[in-house]
Amino acid sequence: MFESLLISLELALVTTCILLVIALPVAYVLAFKSFRGHTALEVIVALPLVLPPTVLGYYVLLIIAPHSMLGSAWHTLFDSSLAFSFSGMVFASVLYSLPFAVQPMQQAFRAIPRNWLELAKTQGLNIKQTLFSIILPASKAGVLVAAALSFAHTMGEFGVVLMVGGSIPGETKVASIALFEMVEMQQQSEAWLLALMLLAVSFVMLSVVYSINRSTLNVGMGK
Amino acid sequence: MKHHIQLNMQLGSLFLDVHADFDNEIIVVSGENGAGKSTLLRCIAGLHKASGKIDIHQQNWLDSGADFILPTAQRKVGFVWPENVLLPWLTVEENISLGTDEKDILAFEKLVMQLEIKHLLKHKPTALSTGEAQRVALARALYRKPSMLLLDEPFSAQAPDLRDRLRIVLQDAQQQMQIPIFMVSHDLEDAKVLAHQHWRMREGKLLLEVTHKRSLPSSEGEA
Repeated sequence: MFESLLISLELALVTTCILLVIALPVAYVLAFKSFRGHTALEVIVALPLVLPPTVLGYYVLLIIAPHSMLGSAWHTLFDSSLAFSFSGMVFASVLYSLPFAVQPMQQAFRAIPRNWLELAKTQGLNIKQTLFSIILPASKAGVLVAAALSFAHTMGEFGVVLMVGGSIPGETKVASIALFEMVEMQQQSEAWLLALMLLAVSFVMLSVVYSINRSTLNVGMGK
Repeated sequence: MKHHIQLNMQLGSLFLDVHADFDNEIIVVSGENGAGKSTLLRCIAGLHKASGKIDIHQQNWLDSGADFILPTAQRKVGFVWPENVLLPWLTVEENISLGTDEKDILAFEKLVMQLEIKHLLKHKPTALSTGEAQRVALARALYRKPSMLLLDEPFSAQAPDLRDRLRIVLQDAQQQMQIPIFMVSHDLEDAKVLAHQHWRMREGKLLLEVTHKRSLPSSEGEA
C-alpha cells in the first residue's frame, strides 16, 4: 500500500518538475505573443481538461508503443519499453496535467503591469534578464499555484495511468489504482487508510493554492 | 541641430504631428490632457508603435519609410513614467541599478545624495512616499547614463522647495552628460527655469515653440 503511495508521490514530483520547465515557455508565448495558431495552441493545452482520461491514455499508448517512432527511439536509447513503465506514466502525466501548469502561469504573466515590462525594455534588459528579474518574481504566486495544482492533479490520476502504466505492482501501480483494487478485493481497512491519505495530500495541496491566492489578493501584487 | 524627430500618425481620434529639431538641451513639453505629450515621449522611447523618422546622436532610431525600428533596449533612454514603476520586490538600491552590469560607486553616491534618497537605499518601494518613489525613478533613469532622458511629469509629487533643488540636479545632469532631455510638465515654473525649448502641444500638434534665449551648455558654439 505504501509502495503505491510512494510511486504516486514520485510520479507527481517528477511530473511537476518537468511541467514547470515545459509550461514556462508555453505560458510565456500564450501570454505575450500574438501569432497564427495562438487559439489552436490554447485549445491543445486545455484539451486534457475535457478529454476522457481513457482517450488521452489511448493516444499516449499509440505514441509510445514499441513500434512507434518515440517508442522505438526510446528502446534504442534505454533498452526498455516506454509503454507500461514509470517513464511512460511520466510522459502521460505531463500531458494530462499540462493545463494545470500552463494556465495559472499564463494568467500570472498577463497580470503583470504593462509598464513593468516596458521598464525591462528601457533599462535594456535582454529576454533572459527580463524573465528572471521581472517576469518570474512578478508571478511567483502563479508559478507556485501551477506547481501545487500539477502535483495534486497528477496524484489524482486514474484512467490515464491505468491505461499507460498497466498497474504493475511496485512499478506502475499508483495509489489511486491500488485503492480501486483494494475495494474490489474488499480490503476495507486498507482502502480506508489509503483513501484518507490521498484525501490529506489533496487537502494540503489545495490549502497551499488557496492561501497563495488569498495572500496575493490581500497584499496586492508582488508585495 | 543634432537631433531630429518627425512623427505623423493617427492615434485613435488624435493625429500626432510633430516635426522638430533640437540639440543637447532641455525641452519642456506642456499642453492639455490628451494633447499627445505622453505619447510623444513613448514614441521616442520606442514603447509606442510610431511612424515617421527619428535620428538621435547621428543614430537612426526610427525610419518607417525603410521599415526600420531600433528596439527600445538599444536606444539607451532613461525613462520616467508619471506613475510609480518601481519593482516592489527589490530594494531602492536594486531598483536604481536594475539593468546596469557594473556599479559606478562614485556616480551612484553623487546621484543618491543629489536626489536626497540616500537614507532610503535599503528600503522597499512600498515604504516610500510618492515623492520619494519619483526621485528613485529619476535616479534609475539617470544612473544608466542614458543617451536621452524622457521624463513624464517627474516632479509632480514634489514639494515646491524640493522642486527647485531637483531642477538644479537636472540642469547639472544635462551639462555633465550632454544629452537631450524631454520633460512633460504642467508646472510653468519648469518651462521658465529649465527649458531651452518649450513645446506646447494641442490635439497632437506642436504649436509654435517658444525658444528661450538661454545659452546652451554645450561648448560647441551654438550658444
